[in-house]
Amino acid sequence: MTSKKQNKQSVDLSLRQFIKDLGGIAGGTALLASTPWLQSFTVDKLSELKKEKARLAVIGTGSRGQYHIHNMLDIEHLEIVALCDNYIPNLKDASVLCPKAKTYTDYKKLLESSEIDGVVIATPLNWHAPMVLDALDAGKHVFCEKAMALTMDECKAIYEAYQQTDRVLYFGLQQLFDEKYIKGIQMIHSGLLGDIVGMRCHWFRNHDWRRPVPSPELERKINWRLYWESSGGLMTELGSHQLEICNWAMGQRVPVSVSGMGDIVYWKDGREVYDSVNLVYRYANGVKINYESLISNKFNGMENQILGNRGTAELAQGLYYLEDDDASPAIQQLIAEIRDKVFSAIPAAGPSWRSETKGKYKPYAIVKNTAGVHSGASMIGADADGSDLILSSFAQACITGEKAKNIVEEAYVATILCLLGNQAMAEQKTIYFPEEYRIPYMKF
Amino acid sequence: MRNIIITPKRIKKELLILLVCLLIAIAVNIAAIISYQTSWWEILTQMGYEIAIALVLYFIFLIVRVLKFFILKIFSKK
Ligand SMILES: NC(=O)c1ccc[n+]([C@@H]2O[C@H](COP(=O)([O-])OP(=O)(O)OC[C@H]3O[C@@H](n4cnc5c(N)ncnc54)[C@H](O)[C@@H]3O)[C@@H](O)[C@H]2O)c1
Repeated sequence: MTSKKQNKQSVDLSLRQFIKDLGGIAGGTALLASTPWLQSFTVDKLSELKKEKARLAVIGTGSRGQYHIHNMLDIEHLEIVALCDNYIPNLKDASVLCPKAKTYTDYKKLLESSEIDGVVIATPLNWHAPMVLDALDAGKHVFCEKAMALTMDECKAIYEAYQQTDRVLYFGLQQLFDEKYIKGIQMIHSGLLGDIVGMRCHWFRNHDWRRPVPSPELERKINWRLYWESSGGLMTELGSHQLEICNWAMGQRVPVSVSGMGDIVYWKDGREVYDSVNLVYRYANGVKINYESLISNKFNGMENQILGNRGTAELAQGLYYLEDDDASPAIQQLIAEIRDKVFSAIPAAGPSWRSETKGKYKPYAIVKNTAGVHSGASMIGADADGSDLILSSFAQACITGEKAKNIVEEAYVATILCLLGNQAMAEQKTIYFPEEYRIPYMKF
Repeated sequence: MRNIIITPKRIKKELLILLVCLLIAIAVNIAAIISYQTSWWEILTQMGYEIAIALVLYFIFLIVRVLKFFILKIFSKK
């Protein structure tokens, strides 16, 4: 336990040190400007906290809530003072992890407590908006799981409430604190891949997404992910992370339209949400995100590919490849070059008609240590994927009161895109980004 | 039917030509390794390609020699 704890703290400190160092190098300030939520996430800022601890409560102690509790128990500058869940078995399980925490079944009662500085919300999507708004209203700092909310109006209401408050608000987009994403996106922003010309994201699993239900009346409570009243399906549950990554890579640029198709292909078990989605998001400059998710075949796993004219990044694996960096043996490259010259000398046999077979590219690691690679299989989260660091940052912000720049905006954009995707699939037509949901942060 | 007799001298000559072809193929690989800046191990690991190139060169050479033989024969008949 101690070594795991030490390991977590050293990851925390090494990322904080990396961010501090980045500020000191040429061009680093520009890179930090594209990840401004990290500006207070440095070793110096952490040491300024001295022995202070943020007093936090966890609302929703299901699987993600308990995963957060495990991470929170390892963070020195916070303590868990209260827990809330309206499903007693989950509340009891969480209580075993932190026996000193006071327990509640009604979150509104919890919000009345003056002994709580901030709340961590890990409830089903339909509860995000009411809980975030009530918690901000009660003067609490808030960390809420992604996606932002179930509807676009709720997202807008949260965004507007955030403009009015001096409280801190975070959303559980842990990739914003994942070393391989931070370094990968910074490499992309520094021009390593050239111009971004396309993006391909997919998330494949072979799992029905169901959880066992002790009695039938609990079906919609426990399997909330499967019903539109409480879930945005694959888009909000999985796609929200990936669309955020695309927008992050594009530097606040937001797609102007989306079209797509969604179906229940395999898991015809009474669920309402699609188990198969394919969407195309289009930016004003013609760049597209191809998004695909399927939960009845896991062959392709999960990946976020950013395609540039000079290279490709596979951010989930923490790898990048360069277009002019063929890793084939020299003799094979020579033969290919001669063959290309011969073919291009024949007018009808130019490269336009020859099918491009996938070449072998040499993978370069974005970060040496590839721990924390998220295969996409887990429903709760991967180890060392930034989930612990984002909580560490949130707890720090609860003490200092310093708002994290851009996190709310990133969550807002990603969630609206997910919901527009769902609308496009439901209405089977191209949806253009509505004026009423545009915010100044967005560039089109 | 006429018997074709391959003399030991002939075999030696053909093997020598094949060896020269192999050396040329290795030289091509070395040039490619330098130009594409890949690993020197490829001289060994890409032996299959080198042998294939050597055989191609050998057969090109063979065709040239056969053609030369027939052309000389036609001219010598005149
Ligand atoms: N960031 C990530 O990678 C990630 C991973 C998994 C889940 N999540 C998110 O975490 C959230 C929770 O997911 P989960 O898998 O833990 O779900 P879960 O069903 O396991 O847990 C949700 C808990 O909330 C409780 N709850 C529901 N309504 C409540 C209410 N009104 N008051 C108090 N408690 C209430 C439920 O009883 C349950 O214990 C979702 O928003 C999900 O999208 C995020």
